[in-house]
Amino acid sequence: MADTKSTKTNSPGVRRREFLATGAAALGVGITGFPAVLRAQAAPVKIGLIHPVSGFIAFSGSQCRAGAEMAIADINAAGGIKSMGGAMIEAMLADSQGKPDIGAAEVTKMTEAGVHGIVAGYSSAISLATSQEAAKTNTPHVVDVGVSDSIVTRGLANTFRFSPGYGKVAEMAVSNLDTINKTAGSPAKTAMIVHEESLFGTGTAELLSKQLPGIGIEVVDVIKHANPTRDFTNIALQIKSKQPDLIIPANYYNEYVLLARTLRQQKIEAMGIYSVLGGAASNLQFVNEFPEAAELIMDCNHWYDPKSDLALARRKAAEAKGLIYTYEIFLAYNAVAFLADAIERAGSTEPDAINAAMASSTWDQHGMPYGPTKIVNGQNESAQPVNTQVQKGAIEVIYPAEFASAETVFPMKM
Amino acid sequence: MKTDTKLLMLIVVFGLIALAPLLITQESLLNIVIMTLYAALLGQAWNILGGYGGQVSFGHAAYFGTGAYTVAVLQVQFGINPWIGLAAGGLAAAAVGAFIGLCTFRYGLRGSYFALVTLAFAEVLRILSNSVDFTGAGVGLLIPLERSAANFQFLTKAGFFWVIWAMTLAAFLTVWKIGNSRFGAQLMAVRDNEDAARALGVNAFRVKMGAIMLSGFFSGLAGVFYAQYFLYLDPYIAYGAAISVESLLVPIIGGMGTLFGPLLGAAFLHGLSELSRAVIGDAPGISLVLYGVLLVIMVLFVPRGLAGLASHLRSGKRAVSQAEGGNDRA
Repeated sequence: MADTKSTKTNSPGVRRREFLATGAAALGVGITGFPAVLRAQAAPVKIGLIHPVSGFIAFSGSQCRAGAEMAIADINAAGGIKSMGGAMIEAMLADSQGKPDIGAAEVTKMTEAGVHGIVAGYSSAISLATSQEAAKTNTPHVVDVGVSDSIVTRGLANTFRFSPGYGKVAEMAVSNLDTINKTAGSPAKTAMIVHEESLFGTGTAELLSKQLPGIGIEVVDVIKHANPTRDFTNIALQIKSKQPDLIIPANYYNEYVLLARTLRQQKIEAMGIYSVLGGAASNLQFVNEFPEAAELIMDCNHWYDPKSDLALARRKAAEAKGLIYTYEIFLAYNAVAFLADAIERAGSTEPDAINAAMASSTWDQHGMPYGPTKIVNGQNESAQPVNTQVQKGAIEVIYPAEFASAETVFPMKM
Repeated sequence: MKTDTKLLMLIVVFGLIALAPLLITQESLLNIVIMTLYAALLGQAWNILGGYGGQVSFGHAAYFGTGAYTVAVLQVQFGINPWIGLAAGGLAAAAVGAFIGLCTFRYGLRGSYFALVTLAFAEVLRILSNSVDFTGAGVGLLIPLERSAANFQFLTKAGFFWVIWAMTLAAFLTVWKIGNSRFGAQLMAVRDNEDAARALGVNAFRVKMGAIMLSGFFSGLAGVFYAQYFLYLDPYIAYGAAISVESLLVPIIGGMGTLFGPLLGAAFLHGLSELSRAVIGDAPGISLVLYGVLLVIMVLFVPRGLAGLASHLRSGKRAVSQAEGGNDRA
C-alpha cells in the first residue's frame, strides 16, 4: 500500500487533492518537527583547550586534555547548553608545547576563530601568558592546574581558577602537618625541602620555609634541583647526612619518582615523606609501578572527594577509557564544567555575561572536597587541597577528617 | 651582489614588511610576522659574531636573558620606565658581551673551546638568576599589565610590530654597514684566518671585542622585546638553551655571514613551524617531528643555508646562460 502511494506521489500526474494533502502533511512536519531540527542545530559553543601535549610536561598536558574532553563529551551527552537551545560544546584543541609564547599565540588564533571560553594551560608560566592574552579580548579563561598565586592577583576580569593556588596549598599543608604531628605526639622537629627549580617548586618551597618554623619544625636545608634531574644520589646523600625527621619534596612526576626510589635505595630513614603538590605522591601510576617506594608517603595535593558518588563515577568512567586517574584529569574536567555551568547560567556566549556568571558561581557538581564555588577576584576560595597517604597500594585521603577514607600512619616505619 | 644593490634590497624588503600591519587584519597572522622579525633579530645578532666573525657561540641566551631581565628588574623593582629599560637592556647585554669577550678572547679561546665557554656563561647566568632574589629566583618576574604605548605595552599587536620592525631594521642596517666597513673587512679576515689577519696588522682582539659587544647589544634588545611582549620571565625562558639554539639555528638555516640569511632563516623556520602545525593539526608532537625532519634535510642538502642556495642557483643560471651563449657563438 505504501509502495503504491509512493508511486502515486512520485508520478508526474499528481492530482490536486493529493498535492494539497501532501503539502499539508509537509507543513505539519514543518511546524512540529522542524523546530526540533533547528534546536539541534543551535550554534555550537566553542571552548579552547590549550595544553602542553608535547614537550617535557606532555604526560600532564595530555591528561589535562583527556579530562577536559571527557567533560565536554558528558555535557554534550546530557543535552549541551540547555539555556541556549541545547547548543553543543565544540572543543578547539591546541598544543602549547610547554612554551608560554606558543600558548599565547594559540589564544590569539582561537579568539580570531570565535572561541567563547578558554581552559588552559597546566603550568603556571603558560597559564600566566594565556590568561593575559585572553584578557586583551576579555575572553573568559579558566586555569585548570597552574598554582601560582600571581595568576589571579593581576586584576584580570576574565581569569578564573577553580582549584587552589599554592598559597592556600602551602598554608593547609603546614596546618595539616601540624595536626598530624601533634596527634602523634610531635615527634617531627626538623625537615628538609627538595624542590624543582621552576615557579611551582620554588614558590612552594619559599612559602613552606617561612611557615614551618611557626609550627615548631626547623627547616635544616632546602635543596633545589633542575628539570630534568636523572640522578638523585647526591641529594639523597645530603639528606642522609642531615638526618631530617621529615623530607618534603615538591617536584614533577619523573623527578619525584626518581627521588623516592633513591631514598629507598639509600635506605634513608625519616619519620615521614610529606609532599606538597607532589608530582607522583598522589599519582596512581607511581603507586602501581613502584609500590614499595610509594608506601606511606603523604601528600598535600589536589584530590577528589572519596565519599562523592559523582567523583567515583567519573573516576570509573576515566579508567574505563584506559586513563590513569590523576589530578590533571579531574581538575581539567571541572575547569571545563565550571565554565560550561557559567555559560548555561549566562544563557549567552557574550564574554561579559560569562565572566559575570563565573564571578557569581555557586556550582557544586564537581565531586571535589570543596563545597559550592565562591569566587573572589577570580579565585575559588572554597577550593582546598587534601592530605593523602599511600596505604597498601591505594591512595587514601587522611585529612580533613570529613573527607578521610583512612587513618593516618605517622611516623612511618621504613 | 653589489653593496648599493644590497642596501636597496634591504630597504625594499623592509618596506614590504612594513606593509604587514596595513594588509594583515588578523592578529594571529601579524603575530607570526612579529615573531619572525624577532627571530631574525636574534639570528642577525648571532650572525655578527658567528657568521661574520667566525666565533661560534652556543650561549647567546646570556645576552638575551640579560636584556630581558634588565628591563623587567628595572620596572618591577625600581619602577623605571621600560623605554629606558630598552636602552639599558641593550647596553647591559653589550657589557656582558664585553665581559665574556675579555674572559675568552684575551686568553685566545677559539672554535669549540670558545663555543663551550659561552654555553657555560649562559648556564652560570641561568643558575644565578634562579638563585638571587632580585630576579625573582625560580618564581620569575611578572611585569604588571599596564597597557599603554608609554609603558611599552601596546593595545594592539601593530604597536609591537613597529618596535620589532625598527629594531630588526637597525640590526640589518648595522650588519650591512659592517659588510662595507674597514671593521667588517677586518672581522671577516679574522674569521677566515686569524693568524694571517694578525700578520697583516689587524688587532684581532679589538675586532672580536667589537663584534661580541654589538652582537650582545642586539640580542639584549631581542630580550627586552620578549619581556615586554609576554610580560613574564623565568630563568629557563631568559637563559635557557632554547634561546641559544634559536639564535644560531636561524642564521645557519638562512646562511651564515650573509646579510639576508637571518631573515630567510627566520621566515623559513617560523613558516615551517606554522605550516607543520597547520598540516598536522593537534596530533601531539607530530608537527615537531616533521619540523625536525625538514631541518635535518635542510642542513644535509643546503649546508650553506638558503642564502647560499639562492646564490648557487644564480651562479648556476649564469653558467647555463654563459654556456648557451657560448653555443650560440659557436
